[in-house]
Amino acid sequence: MDLWDLLSYAAWAVSVLLFLWMLIDAWGVGRKFQEDFLLSSREGEE
Amino acid sequence: MSEATTAAAGGSSGQPTRIALLKVLGPVHVWALGVGIVLVGEFMGWNFSVGKGGAYGSLIACWVVGLLYTCVAMIDSEVTSTVAAAGGQYTQAKHIVGPLMAFNVGLYLVMAYTMLEAGDALVVGDLMKAVAGEFGHADLDPRPFVVLSIAILAWLNYRGVFMTLTVNFVITAAAFLAIVILFFGVAPWEPGKVLLHKELLIDLPYGWIGVIAAMQFAMWYYLGIEGTCQAAEEVRSAGRSIPLGTMSGMITLLIAASLTWYVAAGLMPWEYLGQAITPLYDAAKLTGNGTLQVILFVGTIFSAIASANGCINDASRAWFSMGRDRYLPTWFGAVHPRYRTPYRAILFLIPIAVVFAFQAPLDQVISFSILSGLLGYTFMSLNMMKFRKQWPLGSIKRGYVHPFHPLPAIVLLVLCVATYFATFLGYGATLVAVMAFYILASAWFVFHRYKFVRRGDQFTMPWPRPKGY
Amino acid sequence: MAQHYEPPKQAGVGQFIDSIVLMVLVFICLLAPVYLKADHSAAPPPEVQAEAAKAAATWQSLGQTPAQAQQWEKLGYTPETAQPIVENRFDYTVDPTALIVTIAVIVGYFVFVFRISDREYREVVRERFGNGGN
Repeated sequence: MDLWDLLSYAAWAVSVLLFLWMLIDAWGVGRKFQEDFLLSSREGEE
Repeated sequence: MSEATTAAAGGSSGQPTRIALLKVLGPVHVWALGVGIVLVGEFMGWNFSVGKGGAYGSLIACWVVGLLYTCVAMIDSEVTSTVAAAGGQYTQAKHIVGPLMAFNVGLYLVMAYTMLEAGDALVVGDLMKAVAGEFGHADLDPRPFVVLSIAILAWLNYRGVFMTLTVNFVITAAAFLAIVILFFGVAPWEPGKVLLHKELLIDLPYGWIGVIAAMQFAMWYYLGIEGTCQAAEEVRSAGRSIPLGTMSGMITLLIAASLTWYVAAGLMPWEYLGQAITPLYDAAKLTGNGTLQVILFVGTIFSAIASANGCINDASRAWFSMGRDRYLPTWFGAVHPRYRTPYRAILFLIPIAVVFAFQAPLDQVISFSILSGLLGYTFMSLNMMKFRKQWPLGSIKRGYVHPFHPLPAIVLLVLCVATYFATFLGYGATLVAVMAFYILASAWFVFHRYKFVRRGDQFTMPWPRPKGY
Repeated sequence: MAQHYEPPKQAGVGQFIDSIVLMVLVFICLLAPVYLKADHSAAPPPEVQAEAAKAAATWQSLGQTPAQAQQWEKLGYTPETAQPIVENRFDYTVDPTALIVTIAVIVGYFVFVFRISDREYREVVRERFGNGGN
């Protein structure tokens, strides 16, 4: 177990955390806002 | 800008009725997006063209393909400055050719960028492994670093486009500077001291057919510059910023490609160069200068990260647009109310990129990416001719009009045909496999998916009826 | 105004399946050439490497000049380890049947996509601008 092993584990851990953060945030947004509102963007609007 | 875009999308009370991507980007970001995606090509990948046609063959191919991309940039600037919407070429196809073409173009974009992203992450992993090896830790598993780079960049993209592309500008500029430093570091004014062009360069090893074959990987010098127009919906004044950012990006790339070739060809025998994984890093090693080696290590990592970052940005915009138009499940057409990013598309594409990076071999991934790009250029040439025919000059307001039409479109088409032939030489089976994918996907769209598409909604530009329809 | 086409609503399960289908498809096409081993590969096959180890190669027999040999050595190669790289050549002989099939596939694909798109585009234009073209 040296520095590089530690770095590898840290990399896995940080990746999982970031991914979980995004999932939880996306889930929260889906609950807090109406689906119609989230899908309401229209193409090419100035 | 409508009131919906300016209104803050705060809590659930007092919601505005519409939501949109944020318009915050300027020409600098467009440059960073275009060059950022491509510059990694100078640090790895372009040199496979040396393997296919020798060093001189690669240089000739680099220039010819540079011409192809100049046509791409010209055509793109005109159409994008007129059709400014997320999805870039995809939206253009929808308005000018029709839904099935648009679906295919959207897939070209998503596939080209997601595969490139996987390749970039692999490069980061391999470099970490190489460095660990030099510090005495043999056989480091590169996978955690591959996943980490994808995770960080996806997170950055999720949190907002302005920050994402500002970061991209900084690291892209640093990577470009690394190439310039390397060029001066090898003392180009004293040939024979470090650079050994006279001793190392030989005639074309495969003759002229090798030069044509080399065009396949010479595309790697520039592949992805057309991604600039994915940002169209988020740029403050698209009509001005996109042509400016794209053209200056193209000039940057032509300079970088020439410097890269000059340094690498003066340091490595072509047989080695033709299969090297990180040719510029190897070039720095050959100079024996420790500082240069560190600079090129950082440059390679930065370029790979910038590229993956831009790819996540572009692939998710294309996926999002297809969801919004119901070409894909509508669920993907959502915009994050706080960060104003296509967050579901970003999330969905993460595991896909990871799986590409873990399961598929690098040259296969690169070939799939290049071919998807090439199909896109073929479309752009035909699209340009249709565009001018259906809406002649003067019938609609164009942000920019490119000169010498239809010459660029014809040159582009001819060069595309030559590049298909180049791919056929040596990678024929991959070519057919890629075509099989797009044919099957098209059939799926025609027989299954198209029934969910709202017909009239596919045309959103305030233009008159197209001529001939 | 031309008649308006109202698409069916797609349920969650259908949306999920549609997301997966394309990805499965791309995987099959990406990996097919790898498993069928149809193309030139960047790494030379093991037989070539084994053969290379047997024959004692020199820089001269590999056609490398002294300057080239010097750079190889700086990169950490010996004639034996460099041999498979130097001798791994592409084969550019064109098989006419394969070429014709490939051309047919690409041209056929574009013709197919443009024709269907044109048909669909007419529906789009009709719904957006009404009947009676110019």
